[in-house]
Amino acid sequence: MARSAVNSDLNRRDFLRLSSLAAGAVVPPIAAASPLAGAALPPAAAEGPVTYLALGPDEAFIVERLVDVMCPADDLTPSGTELGLAQFIDRQLAGAFGQGQGLYLRGPFRPGIPEDGYQRPLNPLDFFRHGLHGLDQACRRRRGGGFTDLDAGVADAVLTEVAAGGWDAEQTGLSEWFNDLLYPLFVQACFADPVYGGNRGKAFWRLVGYPGLPAVYSRDMITYRGRPHPAANDPKSIEDFS
Amino acid sequence: MKILPEHPCVIVGGGLSGGLVARQLARRGLPVLVLERGGERHQGGESRLPSQRDELRWAVRGGLMQDAAVETYTLRRSRNEPSRPLRRLQVFLPGTGVGGAATHWNGQSFRWNDYNFALRTRLEQRYGRGAIPDDMPLQNWGVGHDELEPSYDLFEKLFGVAGKAGNLRGVIQPGGNPFEAPRQNEFPQPPLEITEAGALFKQTAEREFGYRPFPSPAANSPAPYVNPDGMRLGACQYCGHCDRFACEANAKGTPDVLLFPWLSRQPGFELRTHCHVLGLDFDRSAGRIRAVRYLDLQTGEEVLQPCQTAVLAGFTLTNARLLLAGGIGRPYDPASGTGVVGKNFCYQASAGIPLFFRDRWLNPFLGAGASVTVMDEFNDDNFDHAGLGFHGGGFIAAGTSSGRPIMSRRLPPGTPRWGTAWKQANADWYAHHMAVGVQGSCYPHRENFLDLDPDYADAFGQPLVRMNFDFRGNEQRMMDFMATKALRIAQAMGATVVGGVSRPGAAFETRFYNGTHVTGGTIMGPDPDTSVVSPRLQHWDAENLFVVGASVFAHNSGHSPTVLVGALALRLGDDLARYFARPGRLS
Ligand SMILES: Cc1cc2nc3c(=O)[nH]c(=O)nc-3n(C[C@H](O)[C@H](O)[C@H](O)COP(=O)(O)OP(=O)(O)OC[C@H]3O[C@@H](n4cnc5c(N)ncnc54)[C@H](O)[C@@H]3O)c2cc1C
Repeated sequence: MARSAVNSDLNRRDFLRLSSLAAGAVVPPIAAASPLAGAALPPAAAEGPVTYLALGPDEAFIVERLVDVMCPADDLTPSGTELGLAQFIDRQLAGAFGQGQGLYLRGPFRPGIPEDGYQRPLNPLDFFRHGLHGLDQACRRRRGGGFTDLDAGVADAVLTEVAAGGWDAEQTGLSEWFNDLLYPLFVQACFADPVYGGNRGKAFWRLVGYPGLPAVYSRDMITYRGRPHPAANDPKSIEDFS
Repeated sequence: MKILPEHPCVIVGGGLSGGLVARQLARRGLPVLVLERGGERHQGGESRLPSQRDELRWAVRGGLMQDAAVETYTLRRSRNEPSRPLRRLQVFLPGTGVGGAATHWNGQSFRWNDYNFALRTRLEQRYGRGAIPDDMPLQNWGVGHDELEPSYDLFEKLFGVAGKAGNLRGVIQPGGNPFEAPRQNEFPQPPLEITEAGALFKQTAEREFGYRPFPSPAANSPAPYVNPDGMRLGACQYCGHCDRFACEANAKGTPDVLLFPWLSRQPGFELRTHCHVLGLDFDRSAGRIRAVRYLDLQTGEEVLQPCQTAVLAGFTLTNARLLLAGGIGRPYDPASGTGVVGKNFCYQASAGIPLFFRDRWLNPFLGAGASVTVMDEFNDDNFDHAGLGFHGGGFIAAGTSSGRPIMSRRLPPGTPRWGTAWKQANADWYAHHMAVGVQGSCYPHRENFLDLDPDYADAFGQPLVRMNFDFRGNEQRMMDFMATKALRIAQAMGATVVGGVSRPGAAFETRFYNGTHVTGGTIMGPDPDTSVVSPRLQHWDAENLFVVGASVFAHNSGHSPTVLVGALALRLGDDLARYFARPGRLS
């Protein structure tokens, strides 16, 4: 869901309604339509509609809320949804990664200790869905509303508890889902090349000062040893060289 | 099954060691056939700008690596627990395709200390006969540094290794590694540029502690280079996309740039790609390999390739698998400590300490795979271990070789994992972070070995190799010591924040990368009762079978393996030329 809606005077009910519509991709993207979008954003950030392939509208709504809690709109970046983080996660789940590329899925299956890594028969898309619904259900039981109904502060605290394993008794494997699947996808969404749909406008590269491409530094190794690198202010991505 | 005409020499694996063995034969006009399960890569997105600089595809998703869905390994930390597969390959990253893992290596190019090859003798002489615990089957390798020196030298010239000699024909050289074994020649190229992080580390290590840090030898070419075969390397761009990536500038010493294009022009050389080797046909009574069996991945047909000689160069775990599955040599039995195949499987213990400097621009994205500054004071047996309660050690190093923002970003301890404060910390520290690292040895343990897993199979129905492995007490104590040494240096560097030490925990961790330096399982040695291959890498039970790669290492040191693998492969190529002239047991 767009930062604009979260920050504007729309009430939560309107927000929910608009979001689920937007997630259904029937109406134009809210980010583009909103008066608040654009202004503070790097130009590319708000461009193009946010679309979904693997996630259904309700699922996408929860993911949008997750990435907006984890990457709220602030002085540093636009919101996670505006940056395409939810779309990135959706694309990864819809593609090879979600279908289990590079993942050995033959039995027998033997649950292990965390250091054994992933040991479930589910592919990442199915495990993602399972965890997402599990989180939402657990929120309803423990916080009296689905994840998207929670205030940002409450949602943030819920995630902290989930990550620390505090909700595993309620929903088995929720911390593993969060720490080993959702969280890495979130970080990848922030920092991968924007060609994958996240990090729109190279917002995270700008934030940290990662120059991106072409990274041809044989002279810079000496010139900028111990000094700020000028390209850090204007990162370039794959698209810029295509 | 399709049966082909016999070939004089079949090499399994078209990576670093396979390419080097083939070179030594092809340059003498001898026929060689290399079977490689993967394909060629030079036209693909992995080797070209801009797609080569895609961290998500090549580094995070391991786009160049062995696909665990097809073949992986299982792990159990002790014999009384069930094994579990590494469902994703993350802790180490075997390569596939022409060039092997050496396509996407970092190029840190160390020779090993000379005493490593007779480590048992050295430790017994230095610390007494009882100093090596019973559960540590350290063995001498049956080879010496002087024999290997010409092959080391040739490897460095072929791969254009850049560095500073520390010991030139016995004379210690300022600026190099003073612990280095004597070398006949300077490195073919001068060292890479030092990084800001490396300079800071060097200054502290020298001034505060009197250590003698040196530039890591690098197979990242600082300038255009032509090797003795006329093969060319471009100049390194310090782009930070080295390990896990193919080099778009052709500036990294790799088999796919330096060896295979040259080999393809030699008469008598043949490379068959997309041929996955399934097994060896072993004639037990004759003590000979008759054929190599492979699956042609382009046709789905199983093919029998009869051979006069076979060389296993398929990386540590494939080498061990083919011997275990073929029943070639006696499998190791940890209960009795007898048998040999699978024995002395080792890894490396590593540690890292992140550092954050508010006012220093460390620019982590400026760096090459091997642009690191290293010190060897505490590597292996370079220091006195009397009373320490462990053997081994490692190098301590710092530098930047990648600032790739998904995987190489560090944050101070206590930083929230998301939200505004997380973003602010990223903004504050990204350009200002570095790490001091330790790469430590791993000496053999009686319970660390390879065998075949009875419960799991690969996509072709072959049993998976089972790693019986954990970092045992010796390595844990060694890391206690190394972490303390590294921390002391880190704390003296003037950082705003010194992070906590990350190091092996109580249970061997499979989720995070720990280097692709897995060794042993088909070890070399002078005694057929305790080794799989002879010091000339000839199988003790199959005269026409040779094995090369880190699988022949009798233990693992704190130095990276590849230059030693390269030297052994070049020497094996020379030996094979002798063997073809006069087959029999090589001495
Ligand atoms: C990310 C990374 C960074 C590294 N950095 C360094 C470093 O800085 N310094 C260092 O010293 N080392 C480094 N290494 C290790 C180095 O890459 C290896 O030591 C080296 O490649 C080993 O050579 P090899 O010939 O044994 O194996 P490889 O080069 O991997 O070649 C083996 C070949 O055999 C093929 N093969 C395997 N099984 C079969 C089969 N069944 N049928 C047919 N073909 C098969 C594989 O596809 C592969 O091409 C690094 C490795 C990685 C992954």
